[in-house]
Amino acid sequence: MIAILISQIVLSIVLASIFLIRPSLTRGTAWKILAFIGLCVLPALCIVGGMNTHIQRSEQTQFCISCHVMIPYGQSLYIDDASHIPAQHFQNHRVPADMACYSCHADYGIYGPLYDKVQGLRRIYLQFVSTPPDPASIRIQGGFKNAQCLHCHLGARDFGENPVHAAMMDSLKSNQTSCLTSGCHDTAHDVANLGHEKFWKAAQ
Amino acid sequence: MKTSDIGIRRLLQVSSALVILGLLLEIVSLLWFHPLSFVLFAFIATGLIALGILVYLVSLVFVATPPDRVPKSQ
Repeated sequence: MIAILISQIVLSIVLASIFLIRPSLTRGTAWKILAFIGLCVLPALCIVGGMNTHIQRSEQTQFCISCHVMIPYGQSLYIDDASHIPAQHFQNHRVPADMACYSCHADYGIYGPLYDKVQGLRRIYLQFVSTPPDPASIRIQGGFKNAQCLHCHLGARDFGENPVHAAMMDSLKSNQTSCLTSGCHDTAHDVANLGHEKFWKAAQ
Repeated sequence: MKTSDIGIRRLLQVSSALVILGLLLEIVSLLWFHPLSFVLFAFIATGLIALGILVYLVSLVFVATPPDRVPKSQ
């Protein structure tokens, strides 16, 4: 996909170079059309294609953990303990392994992707301009919302038929009882204690 | 050669240069797997390309001669 986009960009560069060197060519009608394609249509398409590629790339696990403060969070996905929710989801492919962070932390609301990108830019600012936070002190603004769990689990048989879940379904849906902080599934990204954990080695 | 012709050519050259520079930065951002590559693309490359397109569109305004200035054919 990137190869196609780069080919399109190279074609745009070639066309734009022609008009950089010989702008007088645009006197002819055919060259006028070519100038419109090379200096307006193709560059606009390159922006759209580039934006699409960058947004898809920013959803990848490797992208998220490429920031220094996120490295321990990436390591926590390999903890060999099923009580660690992120590790259990990642290792058993309950979320796509290459989009593990995005799958659980994306805002699935209507303006979610835009909100996520703005949050991402804030984190880039903290990482490269301001002072990066200590990894263990990072907390999600407003807490982790049940909607992010329910996006996948709601309607799933083993989730719905679980008597504990069934008894408090309304409370879970309204976020009154938190999946994570109400004492049920409370071990997530325990980065402060990574040194004491055993890690799973994925088969190559 | 009319003065407006020189102006149009200069605008086309500026537009081409901006578009080329923006596209080259876009290639760099696509090949660079780093959080800053998104910033490079979204704020610098896109800005240059958009400015190039805008300058090209401005040059089209120069090309469109108002009807009252079109010389009558003999």
